[in-house]
Amino acid sequence: MKNPVEIKNLYKAYPRRGAWLWGKAEEKTVLRDVTLQVGAREIVGLVGESGCGKTTLAKVLLGLEKYQSGSVQVQGLELKNLSKAGFKKLRRQVQVVFQDPYSSLDPRQTVRQILCEPWDIHGLHKEKNEREKALHSLMRAVGLDPVYLDRWPHEFSGGQRQRIAIARALALEPQLLVADEPVSALDVSVQAQILNLLKDISRTRALGMLFISHDFAVARFLCDRIAVMYQGQILEVAPTEELLQNPQHPYTEALLSAVPVPDPHMQKARQPVAIKTDNKRAASWCPYAPRCRYYAAAQCNRALPPETKTKEHFCACVLLPFQKEKSRYAV
Amino acid sequence: MTNRIFKRICQNKASLSGFVLVALFALVALFAPVLAPVHNVNNPYQLPQSSYSITPQPPSAEHIFGTTEQQYDLYYGVVWGTRLAFKIGITVTFFAFLIGLFLGSAAAYFGGVIDEVIMRFTDVVFAVPSLVLAMVIAAMLGPDIQNMMIALTAVAWPSYARLVRGDVLSVKQRDFVTASRALGARGPRLLLKHILPNSIYPSIVVASLDIGYIVLTAASLSFLGLGAQPGTADWGQLIAMARNWVLGDGTNTFAYWYTVAVPGGVIFLFVLGWNLLGDGFRDILDPRQG
Repeated sequence: MKNPVEIKNLYKAYPRRGAWLWGKAEEKTVLRDVTLQVGAREIVGLVGESGCGKTTLAKVLLGLEKYQSGSVQVQGLELKNLSKAGFKKLRRQVQVVFQDPYSSLDPRQTVRQILCEPWDIHGLHKEKNEREKALHSLMRAVGLDPVYLDRWPHEFSGGQRQRIAIARALALEPQLLVADEPVSALDVSVQAQILNLLKDISRTRALGMLFISHDFAVARFLCDRIAVMYQGQILEVAPTEELLQNPQHPYTEALLSAVPVPDPHMQKARQPVAIKTDNKRAASWCPYAPRCRYYAAAQCNRALPPETKTKEHFCACVLLPFQKEKSRYAV
Repeated sequence: MTNRIFKRICQNKASLSGFVLVALFALVALFAPVLAPVHNVNNPYQLPQSSYSITPQPPSAEHIFGTTEQQYDLYYGVVWGTRLAFKIGITVTFFAFLIGLFLGSAAAYFGGVIDEVIMRFTDVVFAVPSLVLAMVIAAMLGPDIQNMMIALTAVAWPSYARLVRGDVLSVKQRDFVTASRALGARGPRLLLKHILPNSIYPSIVVASLDIGYIVLTAASLSFLGLGAQPGTADWGQLIAMARNWVLGDGTNTFAYWYTVAVPGGVIFLFVLGWNLLGDGFRDILDPRQG
């Protein structure tokens, strides 16, 4: 069966407006050659520093941003040049949960209005009793008491608001949930609750998920696979444990070395990878070359060789990947 | 919400006195036919004239505020002028608000060329001194209260357009709007259900401050002969009729003080009331004040 989400060689750039009237339109590339799949019931983590294009990828997947080339398919629906009917159809396939639950709920709508909006738009559950029933089951699904339906968003805590946002995303029963850092604005104690909720929901509702995060610990708990993104390019994709235990890309290595260990002795002994930027190093395509500690001019300018990929593990580096395996077999 | 606003108004002496002033004027406007019985059924705004003598008469039992030039009754003018002031202030502000809301939200929502065209046009209207522009429009349309209101609306809307545009631009970026788009909501629904309800409050504050200012400008136009016609119960017109008596009778400067002080004082109190009330609104709706 085809994967619910197939992204192939996606390329997206934002126009940059120059000086008024006479400025030449420039472009800023935000997504470059992105290829990624999300399988049915699979939770894929997308990890990277802020500004690397994670949210843009989410918006492309939601059909809210156009892209220049490549292909994005959700349940076989090609998102390029989407018709109005296609756009509406896509709404019932993909939904989104945002990072900040304080800005993702309209402050002038009650919980009932917020949750009914998707049904109003799509003309679902029109009959009053049926709608009431659906509302109650939706509230219970996210662990909220239906008596809160007529409250306003400001009466809830951050965690509860995020539950409401999740309920809204589930209202149209999508196949795929895009979660854009859904726990990074929450207290650590509440994060666990929301993560458990997301895990439960993805199991019980057979939901695929693109989980955007910058926190490896959170991604490790939830995700089946993790993709590492840097400056609009995906540098490494692997099953969660494989990626954490056996990172292949220099950038993934550097990122993991920056994650603090909750043991002062171990933490002191660890040597984070120093990151120096040398802008004179320009590789033909590797965005990480100026900061890479393994940089080698001759090799980094080569095109990406096919052996950067094993069956499950993809790494966009010409130098390192799978050296350990190679040397292991050589010995 | 309404309850909370009222409570906050009462806590602050300035906004409370503003509220009391405006409420008093509203009562006067409401009960105008009781306070000053209509003498001309066809046009209640027509001032009663007791004789054709030109010299104003001081306050007396019959005319408690005195009479102005040509024996027009000042008391009647003040009472019915209050009603006219509310009519002008609220109508002009309402339509200016509506036009500004429409143009500002269209500019912000659609952006691009539409935004440029609307906002540059707004800039042009802004660049001309508003009283001068209102005078030109009123003079072109002819002196009449309705034409004066059109002229005032034409110069009052740009500030709303700018304000609404700014607020819509910032609300448009918020996550709940994107979430609604992701649910399938399109243009009208987004704008009416999510963006506008979250962006009109600052404009409402400006509108409450504007009512007093509009009445003041209307009085200026009437004074210049571009608004209400002589004999109309309009505050600006009453001041215009006092023009020849401002300097007194040659020996006593204050011989005809009531011709200026009565309508002038009423305008002053009316504008002051709205300004204090508007300031109160601003303080209450300012999120930084909690």
